[in-house]
Amino acid sequence: MDKIKGRVFVLGDDVDTDQILPGYAMAEPFEQLGTYAMAGAPGLDFAKRVQKGDILVAGRNFGCGSSREQAPHALKMAGVSLVVAKSFARIFRRNAINIGLPVYAADLSDQLKDGDIIEADLVLGEVRLPAGMVKAVPMSENVLKTLEYGGLIPRIRAELRKEKG
Amino acid sequence: MNLIEKYLAIAAGEEEVRPGMDIRCDISYVAAHDVTAPIAIRQFEEIGVDSVFDPEKVLLIVDHIYPAATEKARKSVWEMDDFAKKYGVKLYKSGQGVIHQLMYENHQAKPGEIIVIADSHTCTCGGYGVIGIGVGSTEAAAAMATGKLDLEVPQVVQIYLTGKLKSNVFGKDFILHLGEIFGTDYLTDKGLIISGPGIDCFSTEERMTVCNMGTELGSMITLFGTHARETDVEETREIDLSLLEPKIAKPYSPVNVSDVKAMEGLPVTQVVVGSCTNGRLNDMEQVVRQLRSHPVHPDVNMLVVPSSKTVLEAMEQKGWCKIIRDAGATILNPGCGPCFGAHEGLVSERDVVVSTTNRNFPGRMGSIKGQIYLASPATAAASAVAGKIMVPAEQ
Repeated sequence: MDKIKGRVFVLGDDVDTDQILPGYAMAEPFEQLGTYAMAGAPGLDFAKRVQKGDILVAGRNFGCGSSREQAPHALKMAGVSLVVAKSFARIFRRNAINIGLPVYAADLSDQLKDGDIIEADLVLGEVRLPAGMVKAVPMSENVLKTLEYGGLIPRIRAELRKEKG
Repeated sequence: MNLIEKYLAIAAGEEEVRPGMDIRCDISYVAAHDVTAPIAIRQFEEIGVDSVFDPEKVLLIVDHIYPAATEKARKSVWEMDDFAKKYGVKLYKSGQGVIHQLMYENHQAKPGEIIVIADSHTCTCGGYGVIGIGVGSTEAAAAMATGKLDLEVPQVVQIYLTGKLKSNVFGKDFILHLGEIFGTDYLTDKGLIISGPGIDCFSTEERMTVCNMGTELGSMITLFGTHARETDVEETREIDLSLLEPKIAKPYSPVNVSDVKAMEGLPVTQVVVGSCTNGRLNDMEQVVRQLRSHPVHPDVNMLVVPSSKTVLEAMEQKGWCKIIRDAGATILNPGCGPCFGAHEGLVSERDVVVSTTNRNFPGRMGSIKGQIYLASPATAAASAVAGKIMVPAEQ
């Protein structure tokens, strides 16, 4: 997995899936989900401001709430390359990895502001901030493997093929 | 091993499991609903298998946006219909009710079995001893193909209950109280077992309400145990149920909880009773108890959403529907109703809602500024009658 470098968007604690992708937007065509990314966060105007490759940096419990996979899809389609948060709600974390959107647990939101550039090495568990290098927990082998395949479906497809020989 | 570990060990075919172990479990059911199924179907077709692991064990249910509120919602139903016919799986598409209620009424898995649903409130089945794992669409698609789910064995926190509940305090008040104690992320990726003699205060349906909101506390598995104290847990906390008062969650978090008493008198414009959390017959009984002799306040829009047709039919037979309607409330079709903000009772920035549903995030039910308070059906109905937040009378 390559290093991921990008411009930072800083968010707070407990960003829930209704903020990431509101209920009403789930009835919109799948291909347009990116335009509704973070539409439930008042005043953020995220979908207009986000650029391809941007990195979300948030506090604790990012992605809490609904199991809607549209939430990580919306972020990915809007151009988000990585979400770093102090902690993630379980289903969101699994959904993101399953669709090939890297998420990474590290407590950085207090040390960064919008527009800062960071670079994350998910294998080594290191994040380069403007103020220097921060050591975090490396991703598990299992998660890295899924991300290398580009998500759970390509991975399962490959594994089932292998089983069949 | 604790109860969760015992069950996971059986599902994984292991002699023993310990926290942190990666295991691959056999599952009894996998299901998805009209919001999560379309992506699951798309992902399933990508896998490239020609059948689901067991057509009897795969279910699709239209509950979130029934009847279709948009053309897109109706298209989703057709996608589910095509998939159901192609792979020979059961599709509920006629408003039979909410997925978690139908799993309980029609497909009751046995204690210790694992069910996987592409919905965060899958944990509801912990109320009848089943391990419910909420997943996203992609993981559900993978489970439909393989009949397996990969899990990490969680650390377990035990709540040991003693004492008896007051007559105006219910499962909803108890789970809101756990939110007050633990917040949104203390239990992330952990298991929660509720045990001790105090569990007798809760019927199976009340236990389903408690387990339903385990996900609001971040818990991976929420399960009722037995009177016995579980061993091999990370932590045990004791709660004396006799000390518990009616609770309410204030905007904009299910764990922003206080006593109902502290909020008494706040004017209310809409009351919702229903959802997978509190749309069962015992919940409707609390509504009828209040509305039998008191009409809904004229400034309140009261919506009652049974969680299934079976619940609605029982309400009809008991004469409860007439009581509810005569009091001025509206009974909506069984399903998810306005809970998640897609249809049937959305609110504006001027609304203050008391709802028995499970989430009160900004914009959950319409306007980002609409205020949603979460409470028991008894508190919701008492508030509907008073036109303001009200502690339900002891019975």
